[in-house]
Amino acid sequence: MNTNHYGYHVEIIPPKQDSQKLEEDLQLFASKLTRVMGSGFTASITDNAMGLLAFQGHECIEELGIDVDPSKILIHLNTFHTKKDLDGILDSLKRLGITSILAISGDGSPRLPKLQPDDVGAVGTASVTSVELCAYVRKNYPEFTVGVAFNPYEPPEHEFEKLERKLAAGASFVITQPIIGQNDIIDRLIEKHPDLPVMIEAWMSKKLYLLSDVVGYPIPEDAEFDPLATLESLENTYPGSSFYLSLLGFKTQYETVEQMAAAKEARS
Amino acid sequence: MKIIVCIKQVPATTEAKIDPVTKRIIREGTQAVLNPFDLYAIEEAVSLKEQCGGEVIALSMGPENAKKALTEALSMGADEAILLSDRAFGGSDTWATGYALARAIETIGGADLIICGRQAIDGDTAQVGPVIASKLGIMQAANVMKTVSAEGGSFTFHRMNESGFDVVRLTAPALITVLKDINVPRIPTLRNARRARAAEIKVWKPDDIGADPAMIGLAASPTRVVKTQPQTSRNTDTFRIEGEPRDAAKTLAGELLRRKLF
Repeated sequence: MNTNHYGYHVEIIPPKQDSQKLEEDLQLFASKLTRVMGSGFTASITDNAMGLLAFQGHECIEELGIDVDPSKILIHLNTFHTKKDLDGILDSLKRLGITSILAISGDGSPRLPKLQPDDVGAVGTASVTSVELCAYVRKNYPEFTVGVAFNPYEPPEHEFEKLERKLAAGASFVITQPIIGQNDIIDRLIEKHPDLPVMIEAWMSKKLYLLSDVVGYPIPEDAEFDPLATLESLENTYPGSSFYLSLLGFKTQYETVEQMAAAKEARS
Repeated sequence: MKIIVCIKQVPATTEAKIDPVTKRIIREGTQAVLNPFDLYAIEEAVSLKEQCGGEVIALSMGPENAKKALTEALSMGADEAILLSDRAFGGSDTWATGYALARAIETIGGADLIICGRQAIDGDTAQVGPVIASKLGIMQAANVMKTVSAEGGSFTFHRMNESGFDVVRLTAPALITVLKDINVPRIPTLRNARRARAAEIKVWKPDDIGADPAMIGLAASPTRVVKTQPQTSRNTDTFRIEGEPRDAAKTLAGELLRRKLF
C-alpha cells in the first residue's frame, strides 16, 4: 500500500450500471483516475458503494485500456459477490498488478448476491463479513495487501474487538470512517496500534448532513462546514497519518488539495 | 438450443400510481424497472445457452422506453431483443398480452424453450406465461425452482408445490415460469453492457406479427379491473438503543412487547 504521508487517497466511484450516459461517465472515470495517479496520489475505487450497482474498477481499467500505476490504486472489495465473481475480480487485479485491497462488509441491495460462508471457507459463522473476506484473500491470494475499515461511531469495545479479528485475519492497514475533528476513539486506535498504518477519512463534501447517512447519526443540515480547512486541521492533529478523501470535488477542490500536498512535502 | 425469454418493464413498486378512472397503472412519468422475477428468467436462459449452446432472444411488449429492460437482458447475455410496441397493444390484459407474445414467438420461428418470470410485480397475476403456452399449444410448467437437465429436446425441472417439489419432464417446445430459487442473476459486465447499449432492438407492430386487431388491446381484453389501490409503504422508523448489552437487550425486549411484536 502506498503510505506516502504527503499524498492522499482519493475516492473514485465507477459509473453506475444504470447510467444513461455510460460512455461519458467512463471517460470521466478515466480522467479522474489518470489525474489522481498523475498527482502522485492513490486512487481508491469503490465497490457498489451504498449498495448501488456500479461497474467494477478493474473492468473499467481493462475495458478502457487505462494506463495505470498499480501501486497507486486501492480497490474496495465487499462481501456482495458470488464466489465466481470474487475470484474473477481478484484474478483481474493480479493481471493488472494491483495489490492493495480494502476488504469491507459493504452495503447490500436486492440485486446483489451475498457471499456465503462455504464460499470463503468460513467455519462457525452464519454470514460473511470483512473478517472472513480478509482471511479468504490473505489465504488464497497472499500477494494482496488487505486493509480494513474502522468505525469510530460504533460502540468502541465492539469495534476494537472486531478490529482484532480483522488483524488476526491478515489485515495490515486501516481506513477510518470520516471524522471532522479530533476523535478520542481514533486517538485510542493509534495509541493501541502504533505500528499499524491508519488512514483517516476526511469528509470533503460541504453537505455535512450527508455524513449522517454514513455514520448513522443526525448532523444538522445547516451546520457550517469548510472541508478544506477541516482537512488541514486534521492533518495538524494527526501528523503521522495519511488521509483518505471521500466525495472530493474535482472541479472545485482538487487543485487546492494538490497544493496542500506539495506544501506538505516541501515543509518536510 | 433456441430460447426466448419474455420480460416486462414495470413501475418501481414504491412509485406506482393508479388512474382513478381507468383503474390502470399510470406508467408515464414513473420510474420503470425490469420486473425483478424476469432477472431470474434471463439468467436461466443465458446459463442454459452457455451450457448447451444456441441463442437467447429477449421479447417484451410495452412502450418505447421498455427498450431499457431489453437492454438489460442484452447486458446479461441475451443475443437479440424484440419489442412489441404500438398504441394498438395498449390496455391489453394478460389474455391479449399472451396472444400478442405468442404471435411474436411464432413470427420468430418458435423456440425450444420459452422462459418467463413467475409473475410481474405490477399485476401479480402470474398468467401471461401460461396464456402464451396455451395459445401456442405447448407443454408448460409454472413455478420452476431448478433445472435438472436440458438435452436432446427434453427438459427435467423441479416445480415447487405446497410441500416441496414435483419432478416434471417436458419436451420441446415448452414454456416454464421460474422462481427466485432457481439461480443467482449475474451482474452485467462492462463489456456486455457497452455491447448491449450499442445493439439494435427491433420494434414490431401488430402487422409484423400478423396479429388480429380484434385480439389485442383494451377492446380485446376480457378482464375488467373493478378496483385497484397502490400498496401503502410500511412505517420504517428506526431508533438506536444505547447502553450496556444486557440493558439494551432488556430495552429491546420491552419495546417488542409494547408493540405486541414478541
